[in-house]
Amino acid sequence: MNKRKFSIVFLLVLVYATNFAQLKIRVVTDKHHTVRSFTIDPAIGFHTNFGSDFLLSTLVQWNPLKYLSLASHSSFAFNNIFQRDFNGVKTNYNYSILQKFGAGTTFYSRKSSNTFLLMAGMKYTSFKETMKNPDNQPIKAAINSFSPDYGLMYALRKGVKNRFFTFRMYVPLYPWPMKGSDISYADGNLNNIALELGVGLKIK
Amino acid sequence: MMKTKTRLLLNSIAALSTAMLLFTVSSCKKEVFSQGTVKSFSLQSAANGVTYDIKVALPSGYNPAAGKYATIYLLDGEEIFDFTANSCQEIAGKNGVANALVVSIGYGQDRSIDYTPTKISNSTGGAPQFLDFIASQLIPKMEQDYNVDTSRAGRVILGHSYGGLFGAYTFCVNQKLFGHYLLLSPSLWFDNLVTLQLEKENRALNRISPALVFMGIGEAENSGRMQAPFESFYQSIRDQYPAVTLSKNREKNLAHLGSRNPNIIKSLNFYFQNR
Repeated sequence: MNKRKFSIVFLLVLVYATNFAQLKIRVVTDKHHTVRSFTIDPAIGFHTNFGSDFLLSTLVQWNPLKYLSLASHSSFAFNNIFQRDFNGVKTNYNYSILQKFGAGTTFYSRKSSNTFLLMAGMKYTSFKETMKNPDNQPIKAAINSFSPDYGLMYALRKGVKNRFFTFRMYVPLYPWPMKGSDISYADGNLNNIALELGVGLKIK
Repeated sequence: MMKTKTRLLLNSIAALSTAMLLFTVSSCKKEVFSQGTVKSFSLQSAANGVTYDIKVALPSGYNPAAGKYATIYLLDGEEIFDFTANSCQEIAGKNGVANALVVSIGYGQDRSIDYTPTKISNSTGGAPQFLDFIASQLIPKMEQDYNVDTSRAGRVILGHSYGGLFGAYTFCVNQKLFGHYLLLSPSLWFDNLVTLQLEKENRALNRISPALVFMGIGEAENSGRMQAPFESFYQSIRDQYPAVTLSKNREKNLAHLGSRNPNIIKSLNFYFQNR
């Protein structure tokens, strides 16, 4: 299992290094493409777990080189917003805070750009359920947990002006395969695939 | 120059995708119980007319003359039989104790019928008939064909999700059958928490029966229905059943399905170390 994990990380590093080994450091000056060196992309979105998590997020991206993108992604998720009272079980609160940093590359065309990022960070989840047991006593279950958050992010930016349409998708690589290679772990990944839509701002 | 770089990037992404795909495929390989012998047979239930495929994992070195074997009855057997049988072999060996026979009960009909205690739709409410099948046909058949421990203490039930609900239901309504209960992510929310009510109704009858009860769940099960009923059932057993040896585990960072296999391993460790 560890061998697999290390192989994947090693492969990612190799691919990344290969991509940029021959790039010259230069200022971004391409006038024929939608090159932006610093953007902030606020967005709203949802997780693919039946669409019941509502997300507010921001992607801050800096391109020090045309093909090198560095990014920070911050997100607040209101989890399970449509089911806060089920069969006598009340959800008092349920949210997650996610912060990730990443690096990747951007492909450009005349009216859009496509960014691919490897992201890594932390996720904090807090939720509390309460109910009355058959003896009419209150029962509570509160979970507060930190977990690693690794994944791949794709960001599409459409438009040539200082404000542009932005769409992004995040596919987590945790718990599968980073925590373990057991494929049943992937239900945790599938629950946290994020789709986000917003309006981006070009700062520079 | 630009085209070369783009080609390089595209090739890299293709290589990465291929590597990920290969990794995914290798992770999806179905586990097979390879350390012992597997026997199979079918049994038609007199209670509901459904035929169930049964598989029995005989541990390596199974010797009927050596002594009575404990039996672990497995719900959702088609999903977790091989993993559980392999885990039993490994854990029993590690603890230096005799292994058990793992009895997989396959799906005869929709699991939501067989594993749920009350009828709230056409696809629920078959647990009483399913339990009757286990009690009056499957267990006697196992006792007839194999050298198994015929006492209550020699039988374990293991279930996940609706299977965990069925295990909890069995704990509440018929403690004569199983001496040990491994309940993983039990769907205790079912039908307005009816299983918690059943527990209360049968408490006076059950509270002095010795048993091992393991309750496991995933920490990331935050669907608004799993954690509080789990806690309620756990607290009832802890506070009301002095003869029960109880253990609880929340599997860190894992969700409903992801926590299943780690909890199977922990529950089997608990069972083999405490029986």
